[in-house]
Amino acid sequence: MTRRLKPTFIAFGLLGGLLLLNLVAPIINLLFQANWSGWMASLSQPEAREAIRVSLLASGISVLIMALLGVPLAYVLARVHPPLKRLWISLVFLPLVVPDLAGGILLLQMFGPYGIVGHPLDARNIELTNNLAGIVLAQLFVAAPFVVVSALAAFTAVDSKLEMAAAMLGDSRWQIFWRVSLPLAWPGIAAGITLAWIRALGEFGTTLIMAYNPHTLPVYMFIKFESDGLPGALPAAFCLVLLAAAAVAVSMLLSRLTGFADVVAPLGETGERLA
Amino acid sequence: MAILFFFPNLVTWASECNVSVLYAGSLAAVMENGLGPAFIKATGCKYQGEAQGSLGAAQMIRDHIRTPDVFISADPSVNQTVLMGPKNGNLVKWFTTLAASQLVLAYSPQSKFAAKFEDAANNKLPWYEVLEMPGVRFGRGDPRIDPKGYRTLFLFRLAGQYYHHPEIPALLGDPFNPAQVFPEIVLMARVESGQFDAGIFYKHEVVAHKMPSIALPPEINLGDQRLSAVYARESYTTPSGEHVIGSPILFTITIPETVRHREGALSFVRFLLFSDQLLEQFGLGKVAHQVGGDMSQVPLELRGFNSGAYTP
Repeated sequence: MTRRLKPTFIAFGLLGGLLLLNLVAPIINLLFQANWSGWMASLSQPEAREAIRVSLLASGISVLIMALLGVPLAYVLARVHPPLKRLWISLVFLPLVVPDLAGGILLLQMFGPYGIVGHPLDARNIELTNNLAGIVLAQLFVAAPFVVVSALAAFTAVDSKLEMAAAMLGDSRWQIFWRVSLPLAWPGIAAGITLAWIRALGEFGTTLIMAYNPHTLPVYMFIKFESDGLPGALPAAFCLVLLAAAAVAVSMLLSRLTGFADVVAPLGETGERLA
Repeated sequence: MAILFFFPNLVTWASECNVSVLYAGSLAAVMENGLGPAFIKATGCKYQGEAQGSLGAAQMIRDHIRTPDVFISADPSVNQTVLMGPKNGNLVKWFTTLAASQLVLAYSPQSKFAAKFEDAANNKLPWYEVLEMPGVRFGRGDPRIDPKGYRTLFLFRLAGQYYHHPEIPALLGDPFNPAQVFPEIVLMARVESGQFDAGIFYKHEVVAHKMPSIALPPEINLGDQRLSAVYARESYTTPSGEHVIGSPILFTITIPETVRHREGALSFVRFLLFSDQLLEQFGLGKVAHQVGGDMSQVPLELRGFNSGAYTP
């Protein structure tokens, strides 16, 4: 049978194509303007390398914390049905609707040297802003919702009959989580973690307020943009795009190595694969 | 792109009386709460303002990512180094000085040192002695991205000489000391939210944000044009190699070659040059409107305000 595209798909494809063009064209345009040798030279400057290091380190730590705290939260929300469940879930979404700069100010009032949390610690010489901790706190605030929301959706989609079967075979809750729920939900969780990682890497507004120093790559890009204009900022922009691409590649590779499905699978091909 | 087709109002079209103004970030409150609305009221024109760091804003014009009708800079030298001359595409051919300002030390009323700062404001205690107290956190602009950043360096060095107290400049540490240096809006957010004890600001920022502050002597606050020889004793070289010499704080205004609404731009500049009193209400200082660059390029409509040539 020859496959003929239905008019509906053609129309949808055209509409979607417009959006895709809007998403991809700026990045392709950036590559066309590339001045590879000049960019590489400016990215190998010590300040640029330090910014890349800070960004990778901070986002790595943030992602670990998000996974360690976010996945359990999602599991509880998916399985325990606590009172006011919808309220808890909407609280998780809250940071997503707070504008970046506002988020930074809210965090500053919590963790700043005279903040509710920051002040008692400050008396013990522990500072939570303008250092790596400040960057991690900012990234957690803006990116953690991605982990929780994706993990929640993934756990909810796991067939509860499978968990019940495991329970009847004598598995404890702990074993069920590790042997059944987590593996089945993993593709969705991994997709959430990847998204959160990319969001954390690119985070600017909240970080700027919480931790101008040490400079993350986006903050470094802002400084170069302010001091040297476009030629100063483009290499950093290019580097951020590369890092985001690398983050996706790494997480795809990891899920291959661990034998789980593609990270992007729940966003696309799951249905066909299961069929 | 498709969206623009359906909602043409998302982009602005050249039409009747319009003006887009790109201005030095520290003027944000003055422009948006004071001058902008006053201009709209007086002329009926549409006004669109955008705050950016002076240097950043000038780079944006040079890199063709902003095409304002009017550009207001916090430092005459930004025009000269980034926008004027053939190497910058002659995007600015003239500018005129608009207003003066001065550096002040603003503090947070929530600070545990607030009483000490208040004493300093009442001349009961030298201001630098409060800054020397252990535990005081004070912030300043980033010399890499903000004229106020290197002006603060000048302020502290001049203060060391003025008070015969050589430890004052050492209060700053490295020019980029990460414990002190912040972008303008971040520093404002930190001091206003009470997370920082004090910061060096322009007087007009402090007036607009209603923050308590300590006035500094004209010999060090960079606010008095008659003292330019004193200020010129200090200089600073930015990491990108630009050499800046201490000078009075002057805001300049110009109509760059990117202008799209010539009528609107002319009436806006004329309005501001007429508004010395309004500017003073917002904490800015009155200056003679001197012209920098090519005097013959100043539009005829604005020549009446001219009071000689600006020499740095």
